[in-house]
Amino acid sequence: MMNVARGWKFSLLAAVVALGLALGLRHALTALMSLHMLVQIPLLVLAGLFAEQAWHRFHAGAASAVGRFAAPSVRWSWNAHGLPGLLLVSLIGACWMIPKALDDALVDWRVAAFKYLGLPVCGWVLRASLRESNVVVKLFFLGNFCWMSAIVGIEYMSEPIRLCNAYLQDDQDWSGRGLIALAIILPSCWLLAELKPIWRFLNR
Amino acid sequence: MRLVLALVLALAAGLGSLYAVTSGFTVLTAEGARRQSVAAHPRVLPDARVVDSAGHAFPLDVDLRRDGRVAIVNFFYTRCVALCLAQGALTDRLQQAITAEGLQHRIRLISISFDPRDKAPDLARYARRMGADPDTWQFLSFADPVQAQAVLKAFGILVVPAPLGEFEHNAAFHLVTPDGRLARVLDLDQAGRALEAAKQWLALRSPGGTPTSIRPQASSVGVPRS
Repeated sequence: MMNVARGWKFSLLAAVVALGLALGLRHALTALMSLHMLVQIPLLVLAGLFAEQAWHRFHAGAASAVGRFAAPSVRWSWNAHGLPGLLLVSLIGACWMIPKALDDALVDWRVAAFKYLGLPVCGWVLRASLRESNVVVKLFFLGNFCWMSAIVGIEYMSEPIRLCNAYLQDDQDWSGRGLIALAIILPSCWLLAELKPIWRFLNR
Repeated sequence: MRLVLALVLALAAGLGSLYAVTSGFTVLTAEGARRQSVAAHPRVLPDARVVDSAGHAFPLDVDLRRDGRVAIVNFFYTRCVALCLAQGALTDRLQQAITAEGLQHRIRLISISFDPRDKAPDLARYARRMGADPDTWQFLSFADPVQAQAVLKAFGILVVPAPLGEFEHNAAFHLVTPDGRLARVLDLDQAGRALEAAKQWLALRSPGGTPTSIRPQASSVGVPRS
């Protein structure tokens, strides 16, 4: 029980730190296309992700404190297998791979609002959906995101002209490299995280 | 049933966001959106004082009106060693095409420097280097940095400082009409289309032939002097 209580505090701290960095350093983080795409946007998603985790753990802790077992206290029946949530997150993810979105986020307050509010919400939905979904669903959406990221990265690197009016050509190349790296690192991390269940399954 | 409804809602929200970001699945870049927006709604340019390569200063809109020719405008800075040179070569080809078709009394070229370091002698040097005929192709810079920002904003030109004192900027051919409006933005690769667009505008303006407002003048360069 102590562990769960510490867990939600840790998640909340992580969410606050991620949001604080994304907002506090927004001028520095949006000065470069690579930082904007690969640092600020992920930080905003992580903020929402950790906030959901804190919320969930807090409720799980409260549930076990009154003697019930830590089954998810609020089940979100609208998000069966996490499918609608992951679909939404995938499409919003695709939005932020479009160069125009990055340019517009700097000058259009509506797109900026979509970034600063929509991405934490995405992170929240993502975390909740991942809890609901099984390995097959996770693998499908992860695979989907990774090929998209890799293709967009290759496109950014091979484009001889600038795609963002606000950012330099060199920076576009770096963003491309970063997206390709993301397409490699993300599934590797997932594999590591899922290694234990897979190992257990194989040794049954 | 609930799952289907939730999936449809998620799809609608996601595709709706994509639709909004890409202006209805038509553009992927801000530059594409700028060109589309200008073509749909020509923009009135703000007033700005400019300086030509001879050192004369005058308001840009007065010059556009008094000159009467439709202008193909692009932006550059004289210290540029990359894109502007390519742009300059393309503009030179455009100049040759205009002269070859005898359109120099109806269409002109204007290259505007956004670099505050560029003064009249820099422009004159650059014009010589580019082989510009001063009657057809003028080089201008801004007299006032605040007005410069307003004009660049109206054009949708974003100048990003790059290492080694360089700049990166969106380069294109801009069709500017004598009434001080930005009417079209065309790709650098489509110099021919820029000329075509200029001719089209002239044809729409004067179906009969020479419009009365245009008096062919060899000395129409930077006419309103102050």
